[in-house]
Amino acid sequence: MVNKLSANTGWFDIIEISGVSTPIQFRNNRLHSVTEYQNSGFGVRVSINGKTGFSYTNDASGLMEAADRAEATSKFGDIEDFELPYITNTDFEPYDPRIHGFDIAAEIDKAEDAMSAILRKFPEANIESRINGSHGKIRIINSNGVDQVYKSSRYATYLSAMLFLDDGSKIEIWEGASALAPASYNLLIEKITDKLYNARINKKTAGGKIAVLASPKATARMIGIVSAGLNAESVSKGISPFAGKIDNPLFSDKLTISDEPDLKNSPYSYPFDAEGVAARKKFLVKEGRIKNYITDLKYARKLNLIPEGNGQRGYSTLPHPSFSNIVIDKGADPHTSLLRNIKRGILVDQFIGLGQSNTLTGDFSAGLDLAYLIENGEITGRVKDCMLTDNLFTLLADEIVVSSNREQIGSVLAPYLLFPLVNYTV
Amino acid sequence: MSAMFKEISHILARAKSLLAGCGCEYAEIRLSSGSGTFISLSGNQIDTVSSSQTVGGSVRMLCNGAFSFIFFNDMAQIEHFFKRGIQVSRLMKTKTKTKIRSYKPVIKKFRTEKAKDVGSISLEEKFKLISSYNKILKSSHCIQTTRAVYRDLQSTSAFLNTEGSEILYDKTYCGISLSSIARDGAVIQPFHDSFSGYGGYELVENREPDAERVAKTAVDLLTAESIAGGTYHVVVDQKLAGVFIHEAFGHLSEADFIHENERLKIIMVNGKRLGPEGLNVIDDGNIPGLAGFIPCDDEGVLPEKTKIINNGLLHARLHSRETAEKMDEAVTGNARAVGVMNQPIVRMTNTYIENGSHDTQEIFEAAGNGIYAVGAIGGETNLEMFTFTSGCGYEIRGGKIGKMYKNIVLSGNVFTTLSNIIMIGNDLQMFGGLGGCGKGGQSPLPVSFGGPHILMKNILIGGAN
Repeated sequence: MVNKLSANTGWFDIIEISGVSTPIQFRNNRLHSVTEYQNSGFGVRVSINGKTGFSYTNDASGLMEAADRAEATSKFGDIEDFELPYITNTDFEPYDPRIHGFDIAAEIDKAEDAMSAILRKFPEANIESRINGSHGKIRIINSNGVDQVYKSSRYATYLSAMLFLDDGSKIEIWEGASALAPASYNLLIEKITDKLYNARINKKTAGGKIAVLASPKATARMIGIVSAGLNAESVSKGISPFAGKIDNPLFSDKLTISDEPDLKNSPYSYPFDAEGVAARKKFLVKEGRIKNYITDLKYARKLNLIPEGNGQRGYSTLPHPSFSNIVIDKGADPHTSLLRNIKRGILVDQFIGLGQSNTLTGDFSAGLDLAYLIENGEITGRVKDCMLTDNLFTLLADEIVVSSNREQIGSVLAPYLLFPLVNYTV
Repeated sequence: MSAMFKEISHILARAKSLLAGCGCEYAEIRLSSGSGTFISLSGNQIDTVSSSQTVGGSVRMLCNGAFSFIFFNDMAQIEHFFKRGIQVSRLMKTKTKTKIRSYKPVIKKFRTEKAKDVGSISLEEKFKLISSYNKILKSSHCIQTTRAVYRDLQSTSAFLNTEGSEILYDKTYCGISLSSIARDGAVIQPFHDSFSGYGGYELVENREPDAERVAKTAVDLLTAESIAGGTYHVVVDQKLAGVFIHEAFGHLSEADFIHENERLKIIMVNGKRLGPEGLNVIDDGNIPGLAGFIPCDDEGVLPEKTKIINNGLLHARLHSRETAEKMDEAVTGNARAVGVMNQPIVRMTNTYIENGSHDTQEIFEAAGNGIYAVGAIGGETNLEMFTFTSGCGYEIRGGKIGKMYKNIVLSGNVFTTLSNIIMIGNDLQMFGGLGGCGKGGQSPLPVSFGGPHILMKNILIGGAN
């Protein structure tokens, strides 16, 4: 196929993604199912007369037909004059061979122990859990002679507990963690039981402007609104509020955010992106100033940026700019001391509907799925049936305080963030 | 016989023989072969034109009271993966056994009814159609960019189980998504609509007025005010009524949330009053053409028309075989998966509020002063509280529609809000779209939703005070 594509196209690349994963699912405090996925697929991208075509298949015997289809679609494509990489190295792999020690029976025992630990403290809780061990490989072949592969592994755990109070209020708390190989998740159990304990009592407080302390989980969600504008595709299309704002001091100098594809021991790391471009750390926001947009090859060419490994895709899509590990720099004091200094405020952990607002402008309006009232430096109970509505970019330009302790929330290493005044509606 | 059917037909006999000797309480095999077209345009740019071909199969077994599920796309090795399913099931030593409701064998062939087969339409023609909509979407100088998406999917699937069911389904799904993003300096306003269903190319033709409406609304929103936070009388249009009933209540009626939760069983006991007399909510997978249409569910059960709320009283739940058995209720045909690679779980299909007796004019007059919330950007619920964002909204003053508002986000308690429904209109409409419903990591599942205009009191809307 490589010979055929070499003869018919200006350039081409093929991505092959394959892997096996084994999710174990517990529902309603018991084992429900064990699943095993075997999946592989190929994406074929070609450039003919400068125009891009694309097709994919998950059937290895249909690869030649996929190449034909990619060639046929190219006549509709845009003229795209970027170049594919010539050299790609596998400097490291987000892979730990201990993933092959993932043992279904042992994982079932471990999860049942975790559920029992929560049920001992909250016998009425309804617990769900998913444990997944997966491994695979990503291979890139292109017309410039690149043929490079890396292995990946991931061990992911998810645990949630739901509880109904006597007044009919529902509390549902979820926590997750991921690593390159099987690991302990006792910390998740501790977090869930602490949060359930603090949410047992419902409290009310008046609407208006109020201090808000966002937990790492809430911070990670909110930073997603900022990162959407730091995507070169949004900048190129004129819908990013950060277009043309490189080096402008848009946020508090306490805010530094970087994209780190080479972060050690992270399943979100990779040596090269899905276009074969070497992946490097870059600052997105440094001390409040916008420093970089993340880009793939297409938008790097359009905006005259240097591609640094953020072209992402599965086998069924064309590449698009996407983040690897997002790291938010830590501040000076632990969140416990930030909390102690709040006279009246809200600690937010889980939103409902945060992403539905017109987030292009930083505006948000979200219900509070799990949030606590802070009174005189102490958490006194849970607040519910209320909303936070404000502009995130304005809030981040204000006097925010960043905690010194951080938590890994999916691909985001996030601290607690304190916003002095946010609109609160009840 | 279609080419796609040939892809899986040679596996069917092998699949049947595997099921015959499996020795489990229950087992099913699902096979699928499909091809699709995807075109995505934005502004003056062509983001993607692609065509695809995929195959896949899965085996689900209930052995010793727990499910094992194996997905594979190497169909030639079905025996290996079936054996793997049995091996995995032997590793599961469960204290509480899962049991499922048996069902009659279904031996049927289904085919999507369509006026114009998408397979007979050239890629050129599809590209031309979506390009023409994109041109309308960017027709104002205030439009910064657009996104116009065309997608079709044709597939043949087979369902076989140990009860002797053998179901073949030739399916065609087709839809478009239309977005305009207007900009005036720092003010950026997107607006979006989407249309989809099971049928042919006719589903996406003649959508020029919809593209015009999307572009105009995005531009109009640039000068709309933000609403002050507080509680309001709200009239929701048919689309938001549909999103409300899907998000705020439909998910609660999915029995997998309830069937092993004693507390929820009490909260959701049949006969409990949830809303006013005249509030009737239906889920019905058997409405051909709509995005939530299923001739049978992914456990081989034929879909029922289920009245979830009857005259304001909780009446029934949506079930899979597992939840029906556990709660000793009838199966409803609501076990659905987004594809053969996923296990079926309890999902909605076409969910709607039935027509009431009031004209729209009466509803606005009764609202007096309030908010008219139109369309929906999205909705999310935690089964007790919900948050929805309407596409746009208007002031209602003295029963008349006034100025436009943007960023209307409604939030509330599901049960309180259902009981706060004051009037139900008589102008039911159904909506689908290329997006869909998400649950348990499976998204997007095609569903449709709808209702008539509805008046609700004391709805919390977020905003500065």
